[in-house]
Amino acid sequence: MVVAAIAVSWEGGKVLFAIPDYQLPRLHEIFADFLREGAGGERWFSIMALNARYTALESLIGFALGGVTGLILAIGFAHSRLLERGLLPWVVASQTVPVLAIAPMVVVWLGTSWFSKAVIAAYLTFFPVTVNMARGFRAVDVDALALMRALAATPAQVFTRLRFPASMPYLFTALRISATASVIGAIVGELPVGSRFGMGVVIINAAQYYNWRPANLWAAILVSSLIGIAFYQFIVLIERRAMRWRPAAEI
Amino acid sequence: MTAPVIEAVGVGRIFETRGGPTEALRDLSFGVDGGEFISIIGPSGCGKSTLLRIVGDLVEPSTGSIRVNGKTARQARLDRDYGIVFQAPVLYDWRTVIENVRLPLELAGGSLEERRERPRALLRLVGLEGFRDHYPWQLSGGMQQRVSIARALALHPSILLMDEPFGALDEMTRERLNLELLQVWSETGATALFVTHSIAEAVFLSTRVVVMSPRPGTIDRIVPIDLPRPRLDKVRGEPRFFELVTAVRESLREDPALAAGNAPRAEHARARGAP
Repeated sequence: MVVAAIAVSWEGGKVLFAIPDYQLPRLHEIFADFLREGAGGERWFSIMALNARYTALESLIGFALGGVTGLILAIGFAHSRLLERGLLPWVVASQTVPVLAIAPMVVVWLGTSWFSKAVIAAYLTFFPVTVNMARGFRAVDVDALALMRALAATPAQVFTRLRFPASMPYLFTALRISATASVIGAIVGELPVGSRFGMGVVIINAAQYYNWRPANLWAAILVSSLIGIAFYQFIVLIERRAMRWRPAAEI
Repeated sequence: MTAPVIEAVGVGRIFETRGGPTEALRDLSFGVDGGEFISIIGPSGCGKSTLLRIVGDLVEPSTGSIRVNGKTARQARLDRDYGIVFQAPVLYDWRTVIENVRLPLELAGGSLEERRERPRALLRLVGLEGFRDHYPWQLSGGMQQRVSIARALALHPSILLMDEPFGALDEMTRERLNLELLQVWSETGATALFVTHSIAEAVFLSTRVVVMSPRPGTIDRIVPIDLPRPRLDKVRGEPRFFELVTAVRESLREDPALAAGNAPRAEHARARGAP
Protein backbone atom coordinates (compact mmCIF):
# COMPACT_ATOMS: atom_id res chain seq x y z
CA MET A 1 0.00 0.00 0.00
CA VAL A 2 2.78 2.39 0.90
CA VAL A 3 4.50 1.45 -2.36
CA ALA A 4 1.32 2.26 -4.28
CA ALA A 5 0.99 5.60 -2.48
CA ILE A 6 4.55 6.53 -3.33
CA ALA A 7 4.01 5.56 -6.96
CA VAL A 8 0.84 7.62 -7.21
CA SER A 9 2.36 10.72 -5.60
CA TRP A 10 5.50 10.28 -7.74
CA GLU A 11 3.63 10.24 -11.02
CA GLY A 12 0.98 12.67 -9.79
CA GLY A 13 3.61 15.14 -8.64
CA LYS A 14 5.30 14.96 -12.02
CA VAL A 15 2.10 15.93 -13.82
CA LEU A 16 1.00 18.47 -11.21
CA PHE A 17 4.26 20.41 -11.00
CA ALA A 18 5.32 19.70 -14.60
CA ILE A 19 8.63 18.18 -13.51
CA PRO A 20 10.68 17.30 -16.59
CA ASP A 21 12.04 13.76 -17.00
CA TYR A 22 15.66 14.74 -16.38
CA GLN A 23 14.67 15.91 -12.90
CA LEU A 24 12.39 13.01 -12.10
CA PRO A 25 12.06 10.19 -14.65
CA ARG A 26 8.89 8.21 -15.11
CA LEU A 27 8.71 5.16 -12.85
CA HIS A 28 8.34 2.73 -15.73
CA GLU A 29 11.52 4.15 -17.27
CA ILE A 30 13.40 3.34 -14.08
CA PHE A 31 12.18 -0.23 -14.21
CA ALA A 32 12.79 -0.39 -17.95
CA ASP A 33 16.38 0.62 -17.25
CA PHE A 34 16.96 -2.72 -15.53
CA LEU A 35 16.09 -4.47 -18.79
CA ARG A 36 18.36 -2.38 -21.02
CA GLU A 37 21.45 -3.96 -22.43
CA GLY A 38 24.77 -2.67 -21.15
CA ALA A 39 27.93 -2.08 -23.16
CA GLY A 40 29.07 -5.66 -22.68
CA GLY A 41 25.77 -7.10 -23.86
CA GLU A 42 24.43 -8.22 -20.48
CA ARG A 43 21.25 -6.72 -19.15
CA TRP A 44 21.39 -4.01 -16.50
CA PHE A 45 19.66 -6.01 -13.79
CA SER A 46 22.52 -8.48 -13.85
CA ILE A 47 25.05 -5.63 -13.84
CA MET A 48 23.24 -4.15 -10.85
CA ALA A 49 23.07 -7.51 -9.14
CA LEU A 50 26.80 -8.07 -9.57
CA ASN A 51 27.68 -4.67 -8.14
CA ALA A 52 25.08 -4.92 -5.41
CA ARG A 53 26.64 -8.18 -4.32
CA TYR A 54 30.00 -6.48 -4.00
CA THR A 55 28.58 -3.67 -1.94
CA ALA A 56 26.54 -6.00 0.23
CA LEU A 57 29.56 -8.17 0.95
CA GLU A 58 31.75 -5.19 1.79
CA SER A 59 29.04 -3.82 4.07
CA LEU A 60 28.63 -7.15 5.79
CA ILE A 61 32.35 -7.55 6.45
CA GLY A 62 32.57 -3.92 7.55
CA PHE A 63 29.53 -4.38 9.76
CA ALA A 64 31.10 -7.40 11.47
CA LEU A 65 34.44 -5.64 11.80
CA GLY A 66 32.85 -2.49 13.18
CA GLY A 67 30.52 -4.42 15.45
CA VAL A 68 33.38 -6.32 17.07
CA THR A 69 35.51 -3.19 17.37
CA GLY A 70 32.60 -1.30 18.89
CA LEU A 71 31.93 -4.09 21.33
CA ILE A 72 35.55 -4.30 22.44
CA LEU A 73 35.65 -0.54 22.99
CA ALA A 74 32.39 -0.67 24.94
CA ILE A 75 33.65 -3.49 27.16
CA GLY A 76 36.77 -1.42 27.84
CA PHE A 77 34.71 1.66 28.66
CA ALA A 78 32.34 -0.26 30.90
CA HIS A 79 35.22 -1.62 32.96
CA SER A 80 37.35 1.48 33.15
CA ARG A 81 36.14 5.04 33.60
CA LEU A 82 39.69 6.17 32.90
CA LEU A 83 39.71 4.47 29.52
CA GLU A 84 36.33 5.97 28.72
CA ARG A 85 37.41 9.47 29.65
CA GLY A 86 40.59 9.12 27.63
CA LEU A 87 39.17 7.53 24.50
CA LEU A 88 35.54 8.59 24.20
CA PRO A 89 36.34 12.14 22.98
CA TRP A 90 38.42 10.63 20.16
CA VAL A 91 35.67 8.20 19.29
CA VAL A 92 33.19 11.07 19.10
CA ALA A 93 35.68 13.21 17.13
CA SER A 94 36.13 10.40 14.62
CA GLN A 95 32.45 10.65 13.74
CA THR A 96 32.51 14.41 13.22
CA VAL A 97 34.97 14.03 10.35
CA PRO A 98 32.99 13.53 7.13
CA VAL A 99 33.40 9.99 5.79
CA LEU A 100 33.55 11.48 2.34
CA ALA A 101 36.88 13.11 3.32
CA ILE A 102 38.27 10.01 5.04
CA ALA A 103 37.30 7.54 2.34
CA PRO A 104 39.92 8.57 -0.26
CA MET A 105 42.66 8.44 2.42
CA VAL A 106 41.68 4.94 3.45
CA VAL A 107 41.68 3.87 -0.20
CA VAL A 108 45.14 5.40 -0.63
CA TRP A 109 46.39 3.58 2.48
CA LEU A 110 44.75 0.22 1.97
CA GLY A 111 44.33 0.02 -1.79
CA THR A 112 41.19 -0.23 -3.87
CA SER A 113 40.29 -3.80 -2.88
CA TRP A 114 37.17 -4.77 -0.95
CA PHE A 115 39.11 -4.43 2.27
CA SER A 116 39.38 -0.65 2.24
CA LYS A 117 35.61 -0.39 1.67
CA ALA A 118 34.91 -2.76 4.54
CA VAL A 119 37.12 -0.61 6.76
CA ILE A 120 35.13 2.51 5.82
CA ALA A 121 31.88 0.65 6.50
CA ALA A 122 33.31 -0.44 9.87
CA TYR A 123 34.21 3.17 10.60
CA LEU A 124 30.53 4.07 10.47
CA THR A 125 29.39 0.89 12.20
CA PHE A 126 31.42 0.84 15.39
CA PHE A 127 30.21 4.15 16.79
CA PRO A 128 26.55 3.32 17.55
CA VAL A 129 27.65 -0.02 18.99
CA THR A 130 30.23 1.58 21.28
CA VAL A 131 27.96 4.32 22.55
CA ASN A 132 24.95 2.08 23.09
CA MET A 133 26.78 -0.83 24.63
CA ALA A 134 28.87 1.34 26.94
CA ARG A 135 25.55 2.44 28.37
CA GLY A 136 23.95 -1.02 28.18
CA PHE A 137 26.74 -2.70 30.14
CA ARG A 138 26.28 -0.16 32.93
CA ALA A 139 22.49 -0.11 32.93
CA VAL A 140 22.26 -3.29 34.96
CA ASP A 141 19.88 -3.58 37.91
CA VAL A 142 21.76 -3.10 41.19
CA ASP A 143 20.02 -6.04 42.84
CA ALA A 144 20.87 -8.27 39.88
CA LEU A 145 24.51 -7.33 40.53
CA ALA A 146 24.10 -7.85 44.29
CA LEU A 147 22.78 -11.33 43.54
CA MET A 148 25.91 -12.11 41.54
CA ARG A 149 28.04 -10.82 44.39
CA ALA A 150 26.13 -12.87 46.94
CA LEU A 151 26.77 -15.93 44.79
CA ALA A 152 30.49 -15.11 44.64
CA ALA A 153 30.47 -14.88 40.83
CA THR A 154 33.73 -14.10 39.05
CA PRO A 155 33.95 -10.91 36.96
CA ALA A 156 33.87 -13.05 33.80
CA GLN A 157 30.69 -14.76 34.99
CA VAL A 158 29.09 -11.42 35.82
CA PHE A 159 29.86 -10.32 32.28
CA THR A 160 28.69 -13.39 30.38
CA ARG A 161 25.71 -14.24 32.59
CA LEU A 162 24.45 -10.75 33.42
CA ARG A 163 25.95 -7.68 31.77
CA PHE A 164 26.03 -9.01 28.24
CA PRO A 165 22.56 -10.59 28.08
CA ALA A 166 21.07 -7.64 29.98
CA SER A 167 22.38 -5.23 27.36
CA MET A 168 21.01 -7.13 24.34
CA PRO A 169 18.23 -4.59 23.73
CA TYR A 170 20.91 -1.89 23.55
CA LEU A 171 22.98 -4.02 21.19
CA PHE A 172 20.17 -4.55 18.72
CA THR A 173 19.19 -0.90 18.76
CA ALA A 174 22.77 -0.12 17.81
CA LEU A 175 22.93 -2.84 15.17
CA ARG A 176 19.81 -1.53 13.45
CA ILE A 177 21.46 1.85 13.06
CA SER A 178 24.78 0.31 12.08
CA ALA A 179 23.24 -1.96 9.46
CA THR A 180 22.14 0.92 7.25
CA ALA A 181 25.21 3.00 8.07
CA SER A 182 27.54 0.21 6.96
CA VAL A 183 25.95 0.15 3.49
CA ILE A 184 26.44 3.91 3.21
CA GLY A 185 30.05 3.44 4.30
CA ALA A 186 30.73 0.77 1.69
CA ILE A 187 29.20 2.87 -1.10
CA VAL A 188 31.16 5.96 -0.07
CA GLY A 189 34.27 3.79 -0.05
CA GLU A 190 33.62 2.82 -3.65
CA LEU A 191 33.38 6.40 -4.87
CA PRO A 192 37.11 7.29 -5.07
CA VAL A 193 38.85 6.70 -8.38
CA GLY A 194 40.25 3.21 -8.82
CA SER A 195 37.33 1.12 -7.65
CA ARG A 196 35.95 -1.22 -10.29
CA PHE A 197 32.89 -2.78 -8.70
CA GLY A 198 30.13 -1.82 -6.31
CA MET A 199 27.08 0.41 -6.21
CA GLY A 200 29.30 3.42 -5.58
CA VAL A 201 30.94 2.87 -8.96
CA VAL A 202 27.57 2.44 -10.65
CA ILE A 203 26.30 5.65 -9.03
CA ILE A 204 29.38 7.64 -10.14
CA ASN A 205 29.03 6.41 -13.72
CA ALA A 206 25.30 6.96 -13.83
CA ALA A 207 25.79 10.49 -12.47
CA GLN A 208 28.28 11.23 -15.25
CA TYR A 209 25.83 10.14 -17.92
CA TYR A 210 22.79 11.53 -16.15
CA ASN A 211 21.87 13.85 -19.03
CA TRP A 212 21.56 10.93 -21.42
CA ARG A 213 20.02 8.40 -19.07
CA PRO A 214 18.59 9.82 -15.84
CA ALA A 215 16.72 6.59 -15.11
CA ASN A 216 20.02 4.75 -14.61
CA LEU A 217 20.98 6.80 -11.55
CA TRP A 218 17.52 6.39 -10.08
CA ALA A 219 17.73 2.67 -10.61
CA ALA A 220 21.11 2.64 -8.83
CA ILE A 221 19.65 4.61 -5.93
CA LEU A 222 16.77 2.14 -5.72
CA VAL A 223 19.13 -0.85 -5.62
CA SER A 224 21.38 0.81 -3.02
CA SER A 225 18.52 1.52 -0.68
CA LEU A 226 17.21 -2.00 -1.16
CA ILE A 227 20.54 -3.34 0.14
CA GLY A 228 20.17 -1.17 3.22
CA ILE A 229 16.59 -2.22 3.80
CA ALA A 230 17.41 -5.89 3.36
CA PHE A 231 20.25 -5.53 5.82
CA TYR A 232 18.04 -3.80 8.37
CA GLN A 233 15.37 -6.47 8.05
CA PHE A 234 18.01 -9.14 8.49
CA ILE A 235 19.01 -7.58 11.82
CA VAL A 236 15.39 -7.35 12.92
CA LEU A 237 14.98 -11.03 12.09
CA ILE A 238 18.00 -12.00 14.19
CA GLU A 239 16.75 -9.77 16.99
CA ARG A 240 13.40 -11.55 17.01
CA ARG A 241 15.13 -14.90 17.30
CA ALA A 242 17.61 -13.80 19.93
CA MET A 243 15.07 -12.02 22.11
CA ARG A 244 12.26 -14.50 22.16
CA TRP A 245 12.22 -14.20 25.94
CA ARG A 246 10.58 -10.78 25.71
CA PRO A 247 6.84 -10.23 25.60
CA ALA A 248 5.91 -10.02 21.90
CA ALA A 249 4.52 -6.51 22.30
CA GLU A 250 7.92 -5.09 23.17
CA ILE A 251 9.59 -5.99 19.88
CA MET B 1 26.74 -25.38 73.49
CA THR B 2 27.70 -24.58 69.93
CA ALA B 3 28.82 -21.15 68.80
CA PRO B 4 26.15 -18.98 67.16
CA VAL B 5 25.86 -19.25 63.37
CA ILE B 6 25.74 -15.48 63.05
CA GLU B 7 27.47 -13.31 65.59
CA ALA B 8 27.51 -9.53 65.36
CA VAL B 9 29.62 -7.44 67.71
CA GLY B 10 29.23 -3.65 67.83
CA VAL B 11 28.20 -3.36 64.20
CA GLY B 12 27.64 0.17 62.92
CA ARG B 13 27.41 1.74 59.52
CA ILE B 14 27.79 5.32 58.39
CA PHE B 15 26.91 6.28 54.83
CA GLU B 16 28.52 9.25 53.15
CA THR B 17 25.72 11.23 51.56
CA ARG B 18 25.71 14.63 49.90
CA GLY B 19 24.28 16.14 53.05
CA GLY B 20 27.18 14.74 55.08
CA PRO B 21 27.62 11.44 56.88
CA THR B 22 24.44 9.59 57.86
CA GLU B 23 24.55 7.05 60.63
CA ALA B 24 22.36 4.15 59.53
CA LEU B 25 23.24 1.62 62.22
CA ARG B 26 24.82 2.01 65.64
CA ASP B 27 26.45 -0.57 67.84
CA LEU B 28 24.41 -3.70 67.11
CA SER B 29 25.35 -6.90 68.85
CA PHE B 30 23.43 -10.13 68.59
CA GLY B 31 23.80 -13.84 68.01
CA VAL B 32 21.71 -16.19 65.90
CA ASP B 33 21.73 -19.93 66.53
CA GLY B 34 21.66 -22.51 63.77
CA GLY B 35 18.18 -23.26 62.42
CA GLU B 36 16.58 -20.14 63.85
CA PHE B 37 14.17 -17.95 61.94
CA ILE B 38 14.89 -14.35 62.85
CA SER B 39 12.73 -11.50 61.64
CA ILE B 40 14.01 -7.96 61.70
CA ILE B 41 11.33 -5.32 62.01
CA GLY B 42 11.45 -1.58 62.48
CA PRO B 43 10.33 1.76 61.08
CA SER B 44 11.26 2.78 57.55
CA GLY B 45 14.83 3.86 57.17
CA CYS B 46 16.00 2.18 60.38
CA GLY B 47 18.67 0.23 58.51
CA LYS B 48 17.04 -3.22 58.47
CA SER B 49 18.09 -3.87 54.91
CA THR B 50 21.53 -2.50 55.57
CA LEU B 51 21.92 -4.89 58.48
CA LEU B 52 20.91 -7.80 56.28
CA ARG B 53 23.37 -6.72 53.61
CA ILE B 54 26.14 -6.38 56.14
CA VAL B 55 25.55 -9.98 57.25
CA GLY B 56 25.65 -11.03 53.59
CA ASP B 57 28.84 -9.04 52.91
CA LEU B 58 27.08 -6.88 50.34
CA VAL B 59 27.73 -3.81 52.49
CA GLU B 60 30.78 -3.32 54.71
CA PRO B 61 30.24 -2.35 58.35
CA SER B 62 31.90 0.92 59.39
CA THR B 63 32.49 -0.41 62.87
CA GLY B 64 32.34 -3.78 64.58
CA SER B 65 32.51 -7.20 63.03
CA ILE B 66 30.36 -10.08 61.85
CA ARG B 67 31.24 -13.75 62.12
CA VAL B 68 29.23 -16.24 60.11
CA ASN B 69 29.71 -19.97 60.55
CA GLY B 70 32.88 -19.08 62.44
CA LYS B 71 34.26 -17.16 59.45
CA THR B 72 34.27 -13.57 58.30
CA ALA B 73 31.16 -12.58 56.37
CA ARG B 74 33.33 -12.22 53.28
CA GLN B 75 34.66 -15.75 53.57
CA ALA B 76 31.14 -17.05 54.12
CA ARG B 77 30.03 -15.30 50.95
CA LEU B 78 32.95 -16.70 48.97
CA ASP B 79 32.10 -20.15 50.34
CA ARG B 80 28.54 -19.57 49.09
CA ASP B 81 26.98 -20.03 52.52
CA TYR B 82 24.22 -17.57 51.63
CA GLY B 83 21.01 -17.79 49.72
CA ILE B 84 19.49 -14.39 49.10
CA VAL B 85 16.00 -13.17 48.24
CA PHE B 86 15.28 -9.51 47.53
CA GLN B 87 12.05 -7.55 47.65
CA ALA B 88 11.93 -7.65 43.85
CA PRO B 89 12.27 -11.18 42.45
CA VAL B 90 15.40 -10.12 40.48
CA LEU B 91 14.92 -12.89 37.95
CA TYR B 92 16.96 -12.65 34.77
CA ASP B 93 14.40 -11.88 32.06
CA TRP B 94 16.27 -13.77 29.34
CA ARG B 95 16.31 -17.01 31.30
CA THR B 96 13.42 -19.39 31.71
CA VAL B 97 12.20 -20.25 35.19
CA ILE B 98 14.36 -23.36 35.43
CA GLU B 99 17.39 -21.56 33.99
CA ASN B 100 17.01 -18.90 36.65
CA VAL B 101 17.00 -21.53 39.37
CA ARG B 102 20.03 -23.15 37.74
CA LEU B 103 22.09 -19.95 37.77
CA PRO B 104 23.78 -20.48 41.17
CA LEU B 105 24.73 -24.02 40.15
CA GLU B 106 26.33 -22.73 36.96
CA LEU B 107 28.29 -20.13 38.89
CA ALA B 108 29.47 -22.62 41.47
CA GLY B 109 30.38 -25.20 38.82
CA GLY B 110 28.07 -27.96 39.98
CA SER B 111 28.07 -31.33 38.23
CA LEU B 112 25.92 -31.83 35.13
CA GLU B 113 23.74 -34.26 37.04
CA GLU B 114 23.20 -31.72 39.80
CA ARG B 115 22.50 -28.93 37.32
CA ARG B 116 19.78 -31.02 35.77
CA GLU B 117 18.16 -32.51 38.85
CA ARG B 118 18.50 -29.84 41.52
CA PRO B 119 16.49 -27.11 39.75
CA ARG B 120 13.72 -29.61 39.05
CA ALA B 121 13.56 -30.68 42.67
CA LEU B 122 13.49 -27.04 43.80
CA LEU B 123 10.68 -26.15 41.41
CA ARG B 124 8.72 -29.10 42.79
CA LEU B 125 9.39 -27.79 46.29
CA VAL B 126 7.90 -24.38 45.45
CA GLY B 127 5.11 -25.89 43.35
CA LEU B 128 6.18 -24.54 39.97
CA GLU B 129 7.31 -27.65 38.10
CA GLY B 130 4.65 -26.91 35.47
CA PHE B 131 6.19 -23.53 34.71
CA ARG B 132 9.81 -24.42 34.26
CA ASP B 133 10.03 -23.32 30.62
CA HIS B 134 8.11 -20.10 31.13
CA TYR B 135 9.85 -16.75 31.07
CA PRO B 136 9.61 -14.51 34.17
CA TRP B 137 7.20 -12.01 32.59
CA GLN B 138 4.70 -14.79 32.08
CA LEU B 139 4.46 -15.36 35.86
CA SER B 140 2.54 -13.50 38.55
CA GLY B 141 4.43 -11.60 41.23
CA GLY B 142 3.91 -14.35 43.79
CA MET B 143 5.14 -17.02 41.39
CA GLN B 144 8.19 -14.96 40.52
CA GLN B 145 9.05 -14.66 44.18
CA ARG B 146 8.73 -18.44 44.56
CA VAL B 147 11.23 -18.86 41.75
CA SER B 148 13.48 -16.43 43.56
CA ILE B 149 13.23 -18.53 46.74
CA ALA B 150 13.97 -21.71 44.79
CA ARG B 151 17.03 -20.05 43.30
CA ALA B 152 18.21 -18.97 46.76
CA LEU B 153 18.07 -22.58 47.91
CA ALA B 154 19.96 -23.99 44.92
CA LEU B 155 23.32 -24.37 46.64
CA HIS B 156 21.99 -25.71 49.95
CA PRO B 157 22.86 -22.47 51.76
CA SER B 158 23.19 -22.66 55.51
CA ILE B 159 21.88 -19.08 55.79
CA LEU B 160 18.89 -17.63 54.01
CA LEU B 161 18.83 -13.83 53.76
CA MET B 162 15.48 -12.34 52.83
CA ASP B 163 14.92 -8.62 52.34
CA GLU B 164 11.16 -8.00 52.49
CA PRO B 165 10.54 -10.75 49.96
CA PHE B 166 6.76 -10.50 50.18
CA GLY B 167 6.55 -6.73 50.64
CA ALA B 168 5.23 -6.11 47.14
CA LEU B 169 2.59 -8.86 47.21
CA ASP B 170 -1.06 -8.71 48.14
CA GLU B 171 -2.15 -9.91 51.58
CA MET B 172 -3.56 -13.27 50.46
CA THR B 173 -0.55 -14.20 48.37
CA ARG B 174 1.69 -13.10 51.19
CA GLU B 175 -0.02 -15.35 53.76
CA ARG B 176 0.11 -18.32 51.43
CA LEU B 177 3.79 -17.74 50.72
CA ASN B 178 4.41 -17.40 54.47
CA LEU B 179 3.14 -20.93 54.92
CA GLU B 180 5.15 -22.24 52.01
CA LEU B 181 8.26 -20.49 53.24
CA LEU B 182 7.93 -22.08 56.67
CA GLN B 183 7.63 -25.48 55.07
CA VAL B 184 10.65 -24.92 52.84
CA TRP B 185 12.65 -23.53 55.74
CA SER B 186 11.86 -26.49 58.00
CA GLU B 187 12.82 -28.92 55.22
CA THR B 188 16.16 -27.26 54.54
CA GLY B 189 17.09 -26.57 58.15
CA ALA B 190 18.71 -23.30 57.10
CA THR B 191 19.09 -20.32 59.40
CA ALA B 192 16.81 -17.55 58.17
CA LEU B 193 17.22 -13.80 58.48
CA PHE B 194 14.06 -12.08 57.35
CA VAL B 195 13.49 -8.34 57.01
CA THR B 196 9.85 -7.25 57.02
CA HIS B 197 7.47 -4.37 57.58
CA SER B 198 4.64 -6.61 58.69
CA ILE B 199 4.30 -7.37 62.39
CA ALA B 200 1.92 -10.29 61.78
CA GLU B 201 4.29 -11.80 59.26
CA ALA B 202 7.25 -11.47 61.61
CA VAL B 203 5.37 -13.13 64.49
CA PHE B 204 3.95 -15.89 62.32
CA LEU B 205 7.28 -16.91 60.85
CA SER B 206 9.90 -16.38 63.48
CA THR B 207 11.59 -18.01 66.42
CA ARG B 208 12.57 -14.50 67.51
CA VAL B 209 11.66 -11.01 66.31
CA VAL B 210 14.31 -8.32 66.43
CA VAL B 211 12.71 -4.89 66.90
CA MET B 212 14.84 -2.02 65.72
CA SER B 213 14.70 1.67 66.59
CA PRO B 214 14.58 4.51 64.05
CA ARG B 215 17.82 5.82 62.59
CA PRO B 216 20.45 5.32 63.70
CA GLY B 217 19.18 1.77 63.91
CA THR B 218 19.86 -0.12 67.10
CA ILE B 219 18.27 -3.21 68.56
CA ASP B 220 15.39 -2.11 70.79
CA ARG B 221 14.20 -5.46 71.93
CA ILE B 222 14.24 -9.09 70.90
CA VAL B 223 10.85 -10.78 71.26
CA PRO B 224 10.96 -14.59 71.48
CA ILE B 225 8.04 -16.21 69.68
CA ASP B 226 6.88 -19.30 71.57
CA LEU B 227 4.08 -20.35 69.22
CA PRO B 228 4.08 -24.09 68.57
CA ARG B 229 5.26 -25.56 65.27
CA PRO B 230 4.35 -26.53 62.69
CA ARG B 231 2.54 -23.24 62.34
CA LEU B 232 -0.55 -23.49 60.22
CA ASP B 233 -2.96 -20.75 59.25
CA LYS B 234 -5.06 -21.33 62.37
CA VAL B 235 -2.20 -19.99 64.49
CA ARG B 236 -3.17 -16.54 63.22
CA GLY B 237 -6.44 -16.81 65.12
CA GLU B 238 -5.00 -17.91 68.48
CA PRO B 239 -4.92 -15.57 71.49
CA ARG B 240 -1.16 -16.13 71.97
CA PHE B 241 -0.57 -14.93 68.39
CA PHE B 242 -2.41 -11.69 69.15
CA GLU B 243 -0.51 -11.23 72.41
CA LEU B 244 2.79 -11.53 70.59
CA VAL B 245 1.67 -9.20 67.79
CA THR B 246 0.68 -6.69 70.44
CA ALA B 247 3.99 -7.13 72.25
CA VAL B 248 5.94 -6.43 69.05
CA ARG B 249 3.72 -3.50 68.16
CA GLU B 250 4.19 -1.99 71.60
CA SER B 251 7.95 -2.32 71.46
CA LEU B 252 7.83 -0.46 68.18
CA ARG B 253 5.63 2.25 69.66
CA GLU B 254 7.45 2.51 72.98
CA ASP B 255 10.56 3.48 71.16
CA PRO B 256 12.07 6.37 73.16
CA ALA B 257 13.37 8.05 70.03
CA LEU B 258 9.93 7.94 68.44
CA ALA B 259 8.28 9.18 71.63
CA ALA B 260 10.69 12.11 71.93
CA GLY B 261 9.99 13.06 68.34
CA ASN B 262 13.56 12.55 67.20
CA ALA B 263 12.60 10.63 64.12
CA PRO B 264 10.65 13.44 62.44
CA ARG B 265 13.48 15.83 63.23
CA ALA B 266 15.97 13.47 61.70
CA GLU B 267 13.81 13.32 58.58
CA HIS B 268 13.82 17.09 58.37
CA ALA B 269 17.53 17.30 58.85
CA ARG B 270 17.95 14.91 55.96
CA ALA B 271 15.63 16.89 53.72
CA ARG B 272 17.38 20.15 54.43
CA GLY B 273 20.81 18.57 54.59
CA ALA B 274 21.66 18.86 50.89
CA PRO B 275 24.13 21.72 50.32
